[in-house]
Amino acid sequence: MKNTLDFFLAVGKLKGKQRRGWIVHGLKNSESTAEHIFRMAILAWVLGNKKKLNMEKVIKMALIHDICEVYAPDLTPYDPLLPKNPKDPKNIKKILSKWPKFSLAEKRKRVLKKCEKEMRGLNKLVSELPSKLRVEIKNLWLDFEKGLSPEGRFVKQIDKAENLLQGLEYWETQGKIQRNLWGRWAKEIFDDPVILEFVQTLDKRFIKRKKK
Amino acid sequence: MKAEYQHLRKIKSFKTRGEVPRFLHSEDLNPEYLSFHEDLDLIDTRLAEVKQILRNVELIKMPPKDRRNIVNLGAKVLIEVDGQRDEFQIVGSLEANPSAGKISNESPVGMALLGHHVGEEIDISSPVKVIYKIKRITYLS
Repeated sequence: MKNTLDFFLAVGKLKGKQRRGWIVHGLKNSESTAEHIFRMAILAWVLGNKKKLNMEKVIKMALIHDICEVYAPDLTPYDPLLPKNPKDPKNIKKILSKWPKFSLAEKRKRVLKKCEKEMRGLNKLVSELPSKLRVEIKNLWLDFEKGLSPEGRFVKQIDKAENLLQGLEYWETQGKIQRNLWGRWAKEIFDDPVILEFVQTLDKRFIKRKKK
Repeated sequence: MKAEYQHLRKIKSFKTRGEVPRFLHSEDLNPEYLSFHEDLDLIDTRLAEVKQILRNVELIKMPPKDRRNIVNLGAKVLIEVDGQRDEFQIVGSLEANPSAGKISNESPVGMALLGHHVGEEIDISSPVKVIYKIKRITYLS
């Protein structure tokens, strides 16, 4: 039980770990990784109910998808472009005004590197857990990361959908978010019909309402 | 995918043939057995899915020369949007990985680009107007 307690203590650190993407945007009181996981699991459960999926797997996957960040860095797509001096708001604002663009080869290389770092973090985090649990968590994470099953592919998109929802909330309350870029991004990354319907609802709730 | 299927079958056969931990302990007490068993579950699930995909697969064929300037499945597309250039490949839903530049043909952008030529401008507004201009289309031989 001691090892299990150590795992709980380690995972608990995510309650206070603010997500880097929001810090980079200069948002105040931005959410922690644990807060993102919480609402994402709710989204996965509620929206997943509209599909024929193994819901136990979906919810477990949502709960563990980011726990590797106890030890792995929370990377953002802007990382290679950001200045070394983080106290250069003008330059950072300029970088954030455009979506970071890379060649296809660079994109693939970055995805692989991120995956390796996260897998190392996850291995370290679960190394002392009972074998059955350790294997289950690793398998769920791999399924999510690589989209090996319908559940993995759905939860991967739910992760981004929660991110989009949070981004729009920050845009509405604090600004600082390039909502046009996010809107464009959404049209490229989602293809699940349930999530596309959810995105349309977000458009109506946030963008069309603010236009009035 | 065929290679993945063969690889998974090989792992499964290896595991079930020679590497099964002995049942000296009960299943509850032997962590090695439990780990092995969980692994097999994942392998079986993935094997079933890959088998299903292979059964229904339709290989993306390289289009004839006169149609290689049209966006189709498998095309690598260089686009210009909001003054920025970006490159991605249009793939089927199962293969999609937008972070790695693989956009699903069932996403709004993927769907809208299909069937269009180099030089065409496609409006993907909803709700904000965004124009995607196709700069280059290539297919891997």
